[in-house]
Amino acid sequence: MNFHGGYALIKATWLSWLQHRSFFFLLAFGWMIPPLIYLFVWSTAAGAGTVGGLNRGEFVAYYLLLILVNQLTYAQTNWTVGDVIRYGGMNTQLLRPLAPIFDTLSTEIAGKVVYMLFVIPLTALLALVLRPELHVTPGALLAFIPALGMAWALRFFWGYWLALLAFWATRADALLALQDTLIFLLAGQVAPVALLPDAIHTAATLLPFRYMVSFPVEVLMGQVYGPALWQGLAFQTGWLAVTVTLYALIWRAGVRQYAAVGG
Amino acid sequence: MYYLRLIRSFIQVSIHETAAYRSNFWISLLNAVLELGAGVLALVILFGQVETLNGWTLPGVLALLGVYLTLGALRALVIGPSLEALAGMDGEVWSGKLDFTLVRPVDVQFLASFRTWRPLKLLDLALGLGVLGVTVTQLGHTLTLADLAAFLVTLAAGLLILYAILLAFAGLVFWSPGFLFTWLFDAFFQMARYPVGLYPGWLRLVLTWVIPVGLMTTIPAQALTGELPLALLAGSLLTALLFFAGATVLFRTGLRRYASASS
Repeated sequence: MNFHGGYALIKATWLSWLQHRSFFFLLAFGWMIPPLIYLFVWSTAAGAGTVGGLNRGEFVAYYLLLILVNQLTYAQTNWTVGDVIRYGGMNTQLLRPLAPIFDTLSTEIAGKVVYMLFVIPLTALLALVLRPELHVTPGALLAFIPALGMAWALRFFWGYWLALLAFWATRADALLALQDTLIFLLAGQVAPVALLPDAIHTAATLLPFRYMVSFPVEVLMGQVYGPALWQGLAFQTGWLAVTVTLYALIWRAGVRQYAAVGG
Repeated sequence: MYYLRLIRSFIQVSIHETAAYRSNFWISLLNAVLELGAGVLALVILFGQVETLNGWTLPGVLALLGVYLTLGALRALVIGPSLEALAGMDGEVWSGKLDFTLVRPVDVQFLASFRTWRPLKLLDLALGLGVLGVTVTQLGHTLTLADLAAFLVTLAAGLLILYAILLAFAGLVFWSPGFLFTWLFDAFFQMARYPVGLYPGWLRLVLTWVIPVGLMTTIPAQALTGELPLALLAGSLLTALLFFAGATVLFRTGLRRYASASS
């Protein structure tokens, strides 16, 4: 493994993305708005009382944390990997004495650094204005760290194997549209998972999308603890194992029959 | 008449272009259905937890969703793609191709606004109007002819404001060609999904008078429920005309600054 080359690539990509930061800030702003809208909707719904066990301050805290975690785990592999394959850029990556996963990791790190440069100050400002209520127990914080790490890894590799389908299909629109809707409904954006009606709640617990975004937030806020916490972590680990295996299999099969489109 | 014949030609060209890709039809249909489904489900989940939200009930907010989907479809049908071709990513202002548009013997603002059509968005329009049709029967308020007239007037005013804001944001590109102002508007337009009364006081003021997304969807939805005071109807029409005038001035002033893109 060429770690020296990998590190150089990461640094170069990160510096070049910083040059276009206003474009990425705009992207990050756009991604922030849906959770922000639901923050306002649910805190209005809670009013002076509670809805589903959460009061106004807790809804604000939940959605501000969701904005941060969503941005930190957001999958960009559809255009950093998918489009690279579709437009022939994969040729260059495969010829280098560097595993192509370094390219994906370097754009991932570059992206996250630039987005968080924008999102963290803005979220801090919103927290000052909107007054969230957050009580973090040491146990919750301890469980939050692996939950967050696995959420990032799960979303990264899930997006990666989907993007690798570009080896066979020149468009992924339908799958992406479906996935966006599922993440919107099941990953805690529309409502915290605890507030979902029964059938949808079951789907959210079984499918991987919740474990990509809202699960770490629920852990940190203490909404998920005890047996439910262990069950959640088990689901997360299970889905991560499945996803990484899928990625490894599809990568091997895809590279073997790779055909480039474009000049 | 001349302008209408031109629009007919633009539409014919776009139909020819679209007909070449048959899979686009199914993907557009899927996207439209998913957007509708997600929107409706989100509201059902919300109103599963509360009965009313600042005076709005589920049928009322569903009617507002119908207005939002209809306006979004009308925007995506023509004014959106046309202005994106001018001010969007690799737009004509950025690449300098605006030179060729300026040379044509037709008003530039007309070309920039009505040039590119996306006929598949008629699917979205049908779904939006369908939601409106269904929810109007559920409102528990018989629709009088005056209500319908008020609705159509406020919808037209909303569309005019939408066009004016998009035009103004596109005009800003002449001062700062690298920045994707129209994408910024996308974020604000998303806030029009919900009644403006759901947002906190300061945001409500901004969304009603500064970037009047409130006027685009909340007012027409109020007209459907018959709760629209005549003063508000006149006010929204006046605001629409003022915004249109201001945006036109801004756009044409920006156009005078344009000095092509090459050195």
